[in-house]
Amino acid sequence: MNKVNNNVLLEVKNLKKYFPVRKGFFGGETQYVKAVDDITFHINKGETFGLVGESGCGKSTTGRTIIRLYDVTDGEVIFDGAELGKMRESELKPFRKRIQMIFQDPYASLNTRMTVGDIIGEPIDIHNLATGKKRQEIIYDLLERVGLNKEHANRYPHEFSGGQRQRIGIARALAVEPDFIICDEPISALDVSIQAQVVNMLEDLQKEMGLTYLFIAHDLSMVKHISDRIGVMYLGKMAEIATSDELYTKPLHPYTQALLSAIPIPDPEVTRAKQREVLEGDVPSPLNPPSGCRFRTRCKYAMAKCAEVEPKLKDVGGGHMVACHLMDK
Amino acid sequence: MAENKSIPKTMWEPIAHEERNKEKISRPSVTYWQDAWRRLKQNKLSMLGLIMIAILFTLAIFGPMIANHTYSDQDLNLTNIPPRFEIYKIDKDTFVHVRRDYTLIQVSEDGEILGKVEETEDNIFQRYRAYKIEGKDIKLDYSLAAKNKDKPNAKKFMLLSDGEELIPYKKVFNKTYWFGTDALGRDLFIRVLYGARISLTVAIVAALVNFFIGVLYGGISGYMGGKVDNVMMRIVDIVSTVPLMLYVIMLMVVMGAGLKTIIIALGLTYWVRMARIVRGQVLSLKEQEYVLAAKTLGASTWRILIRHLIPNAMGPIIVALTMQIPSAIFTESFLSFIGLGVSAPMASWGTLASDALGGLRTYAYQLFFPSIAICITMLAFNFLGDGLRDALDPRLRK
Ligand SMILES: Nc1ncnc2c1ncn2[C@@H]1O[C@H](COP(=O)(O)OP(=O)(O)OP(=O)(O)O)[C@@H](O)[C@H]1O
Ligand code: SF4
Ligand SMILES: [Mg+2]
Repeated sequence: MNKVNNNVLLEVKNLKKYFPVRKGFFGGETQYVKAVDDITFHINKGETFGLVGESGCGKSTTGRTIIRLYDVTDGEVIFDGAELGKMRESELKPFRKRIQMIFQDPYASLNTRMTVGDIIGEPIDIHNLATGKKRQEIIYDLLERVGLNKEHANRYPHEFSGGQRQRIGIARALAVEPDFIICDEPISALDVSIQAQVVNMLEDLQKEMGLTYLFIAHDLSMVKHISDRIGVMYLGKMAEIATSDELYTKPLHPYTQALLSAIPIPDPEVTRAKQREVLEGDVPSPLNPPSGCRFRTRCKYAMAKCAEVEPKLKDVGGGHMVACHLMDK
Repeated sequence: MAENKSIPKTMWEPIAHEERNKEKISRPSVTYWQDAWRRLKQNKLSMLGLIMIAILFTLAIFGPMIANHTYSDQDLNLTNIPPRFEIYKIDKDTFVHVRRDYTLIQVSEDGEILGKVEETEDNIFQRYRAYKIEGKDIKLDYSLAAKNKDKPNAKKFMLLSDGEELIPYKKVFNKTYWFGTDALGRDLFIRVLYGARISLTVAIVAALVNFFIGVLYGGISGYMGGKVDNVMMRIVDIVSTVPLMLYVIMLMVVMGAGLKTIIIALGLTYWVRMARIVRGQVLSLKEQEYVLAAKTLGASTWRILIRHLIPNAMGPIIVALTMQIPSAIFTESFLSFIGLGVSAPMASWGTLASDALGGLRTYAYQLFFPSIAICITMLAFNFLGDGLRDALDPRLRK
């Protein structure tokens, strides 16, 4: 973590995002949903960083806080040397061109009252990138880049399939020629048959345009395929960060191990041989998470220490970081 | 299984697939509004409402222009003439109508008003009037009226031509004044049309106020959220708790009664409901991913409001508008009816109705026409509003 790395594009330091929830009708003490609670990681230029975890663990909140859809409660978001966390909207404007986001729901992420041409053209208008014929050409070019064609510019979103809509969303994100794209579960709402198509397109675009991705997903199988490094989140905390190969071959955190064992393997021999660890119980509420290690309520290795001391994320060698007391020995 | 053998092998071959046409959409492009219009057209009642509103607008705008009297032209000789009346034949081409105050007016056979007939003698003691028409001595004897005062259906007068009693020739429609005339001899038809102008002015003002103040206010309040929203909504609460009547009375003190007062009062208060509706819509829409996408692109608050939030809240806005407009029209009529509205000689449906109250028992038609105009307008807007609500409901979209 403390390595000085020229290749680092995004550095997230001790990021916290709490959502206030009013308790009772007359205020009283405010409680907080600790959606993201003190997480630290970095993303190198040109790589894909996968972020996984169960539903509700704060993945989207992390992505949205980095892109400043939410205000930062505490911590720093350093993008290419600049601290975005405390910037005002006007100061953020140049960075709005460099960081983009692709959303989960292809039906909700496009304004149905606008033509596809206008949707893709909106970033061009906002940043005054081009007008008239030039604007038109950029739009056509973007449509072709995501595998659609010119005639689609005058159509409305509801005329497209989910996969096509997601590609329109990608074209919109590409319109500002960003360096960094946050993909918030871009394929989980799509049909399995077109998931691969969209993932491949994202990979091709990355090579072509030198993009960096933060790829959010809730299951490991898809992330492994696309990511260089993976971060595993649990209840607002980072549990483990490693390269995707290492995470698969040598998962150290009990939560990662449980997640991995949940992936079905298309080979009955292997499946039979492998002991499936099933994650028991529900994710505790982020309103009052367990003391100490947040995973202790579901961890089969939980010790007395786990309830008292919160494990810190520590490098166990080669950039493989784990937050678990089992590593202390 | 056996039948399968008879299928020729060629039929199992894959269909040639044109790779280039894979992403082609063949269905014609239908926008939200085209779709809504298509559904609205299927609703007969709404279309009726729409047509009635269109006719009303046309009449209100062009009617008074092409008519040959104005709303304030009065003829005291021709007061309180109903839209349909009995005529008596005096001569081959000479017809008269006996008015309720026992005077004669000359009319044509098909109901045109030719003018008042001057009497030669008016004997108020023996209760008769004498006329000389086309060389004939006409005597209108209304002495029976006093005797039969309490019997509404009994005969009240006799019309005698050279001593011979005349019987009604026929009933005709009033060709000169379609809706009759009022107590000052003004053309009621023109006045009702003129009232439509006032009602539509009020409608347009209400619509503009709703649109420019209500929609923007609600939109900003909802989008900003937090403290701004809280303050803005408390202002709305304050504005809406003071009754409209109080605004009108207070304004009247300052600037006198009249259309201007009503319009300002409506302008001050009529955006409140719309602001609440739009705020609610925006609160739920602003969490939508396309709004977040616009934010990540760096869109300004204004742009998000105008390009994303308001267009998507347009369905409920239009439905609310079609409910707000008739309510504003009715409010104006009501205020004018109780004397807080437009003043003479201007005619609003409310003042027409209130003017008619005095002679209600004898000249009921004077109340009938403005009331019918109000009813038709209310119904037309409500029919249209109901249809729009269905047509713009996204859940019914196909
Ligand atoms: N705007 C908000 N206000 C209050 N609480 C919120 C808000 N957004 C998210 N949360 C809470 O924060 C926690 C994390 O939510 P988040 O959407 O980041 O989860 P996620 O990991 O993206 O889950 P999913 O896989 O379902 O998308 C959840 O408990 C959620 O209820
Ligand atoms: S710290 Fe303890 S409870 Fe947490 S994962 Fe490690 S062993 Fe399990
Ligand atoms: Mg999410």
